Amino acid sequence: MLLRSTAYGRIGVLLLLVVAVAAWLLPPYYTGLIALVGLYSLVTIGLNLFMGYAGQVSLGQAAFFGIGAYGSAVLATRYGVSPWIGTIVGAILAAVVAYALSFVALRLRENLLALATLALGIVIGVVFSQWDYLGGTSGIKGIPGFALGPHLFGLRDYAVLAFAVLAIGVWFAGNLVRSSFGRALIAVSAGELGAQALGVDAERLRRQTFVLSAVYAGVAGGIYASYQSYIDPTQFGFLLSVQFVLMSVIGGIRSLWGAVIGAAVVVALGQVLQAVVPLVLPSARGDFQQFFLGIILVAMLILLPRGIAGRLAEGRA
Amino acid sequence: MLLSSIWQYVLAGVVVGAIYALVAAGFVLIYQVTGIINFAQGEFTMIGAMTAASLAAAGMPLPLAALLAVLAAAVVGALCYLLAIRPAAKATGVTLIFITLGLDVAIRGAGLFVWGTNPLSLNAFSSGTAITIFGGVLPPQAPWVLATDLVVFAGLYLFFRHTYAGTAVRAAVANPPIASTFGIPLRAFAFWSFVVAAAIGGLGGVVIAPIQSPTFDMGLNLGLAGFVAAVLGGLDSLPGALLGGFVLGIVENVAGGLLSTGWEEGIGFLILVIVLVLRPQGLLGRAARRA
Repeated sequence: MLLRSTAYGRIGVLLLLVVAVAAWLLPPYYTGLIALVGLYSLVTIGLNLFMGYAGQVSLGQAAFFGIGAYGSAVLATRYGVSPWIGTIVGAILAAVVAYALSFVALRLRENLLALATLALGIVIGVVFSQWDYLGGTSGIKGIPGFALGPHLFGLRDYAVLAFAVLAIGVWFAGNLVRSSFGRALIAVSAGELGAQALGVDAERLRRQTFVLSAVYAGVAGGIYASYQSYIDPTQFGFLLSVQFVLMSVIGGIRSLWGAVIGAAVVVALGQVLQAVVPLVLPSARGDFQQFFLGIILVAMLILLPRGIAGRLAEGRA
Repeated sequence: MLLSSIWQYVLAGVVVGAIYALVAAGFVLIYQVTGIINFAQGEFTMIGAMTAASLAAAGMPLPLAALLAVLAAAVVGALCYLLAIRPAAKATGVTLIFITLGLDVAIRGAGLFVWGTNPLSLNAFSSGTAITIFGGVLPPQAPWVLATDLVVFAGLYLFFRHTYAGTAVRAAVANPPIASTFGIPLRAFAFWSFVVAAAIGGLGGVVIAPIQSPTFDMGLNLGLAGFVAAVLGGLDSLPGALLGGFVLGIVENVAGGLLSTGWEEGIGFLILVIVLVLRPQGLLGRAARRA
């Protein structure tokens, strides 16, 4: 079941082609959303590796996304470093922070791990908003965009870039999950003692997965900073971490393509709510989407605990 | 000079810490009875504060507004359990974490719909000047806050130690399967733990409303602080919740006052992380029930 092979790969290539074509046909506003779906999917895949396959939990993934974004943005605005390199450095930075934090966080399980990652996410958010070097509460403006030679990236290019990186991310994660590493991960989430008895170094495995999930988030964050062209601490808060969890749960926590489904559903939902709710409730302001996000999260977990991708897999089995 | 300002921060910390202790008591109650960490706990406090403030603003006498606010929080707590927790009874730990997380976000969003983004306000329960202790100043609302803590924690203590039902709850906490064979209704206890925890949280919201102009999103930070207080004291210890609340309130205020208030929030979580690493069972807790 879990070690499914090539069928998904073909679906994936097809999906990428559809997105690439759609990015050229649709108006720029929608291609921008497609780019966002690609970036969020990338974060969610990392999260699924950590939560779905390794059986852990992280409520602070937005922080790694933010570290990638700030890393790339600071390098670009202060030192004129190209976003291509900035994104890589941002991802490395996220990995280093995750590695350091893993010694604190990964000693804990379930409830306390959830609490610790939540707390660390918020502490990192406080660092974003209080460190003047990072622009404080007003954030960083005028972040240079990606460029290939003389060609500056537009929204379409970002959509293609995001999905190209996503394709690499899925390919890598797919291979990883099917490798002995992935089987060891699943063994750990099924029963740590049993896995250890078979010679699996559970702690090391959890740490590697945590760092890997931070790399996925960091890469996405680095691209996001240039795509958005300005960042501030409110973009990487608790609500975004909850949204990543929601994407993971909607798509199916132990699924790679589910991450793309989850990200697409949450982004589309945000757009629909933003358009529809003010018509029904003209007084609605602020982050009112969170009400629906919360309800949907609860409803999904009760009605469809394995997510859409999990459900589809059941139907076929 | 420095000493007197530190003393002032300590006093301010005591008032905030008393509220943290109430939120923490709610966490501990639910955790002890059900094993669930209820991420929505802070929202009960928001509902209490916002309901009391808006009813009082509409001209309702304060005691009635306060009573209705606590009832409103209790009803929301009951609904949380019946609509979200009970249906997922067979779910694993991580799923339950996500469910209470969803409840937290949903209730905050509902608060936004009902009350909008503007802060409300509520007059202090008793008029009068600020109270001075050794040169430090307490707001007139402070005695009400501290008295509420006293009543709630004394009430919980008497219930658990000196009533039949309280003893049954303790039995259920100590060994659910055996308690169940003796006819102790575990599900009913789980339901009531949510109701009582929500009511206590709501009451905390009512008494803090005059000090901290309540907003729809106050529940997140209060809930997280209540969490830190509960973990600090020991997740399975009500006296720990009280101690943890005061320690966190004081440390946060003193450190925040000496550094800068912007970092204050981060300090609380830094404490949480340190406690989780060095002493995961908390100051007064027994060894962790579930690792």
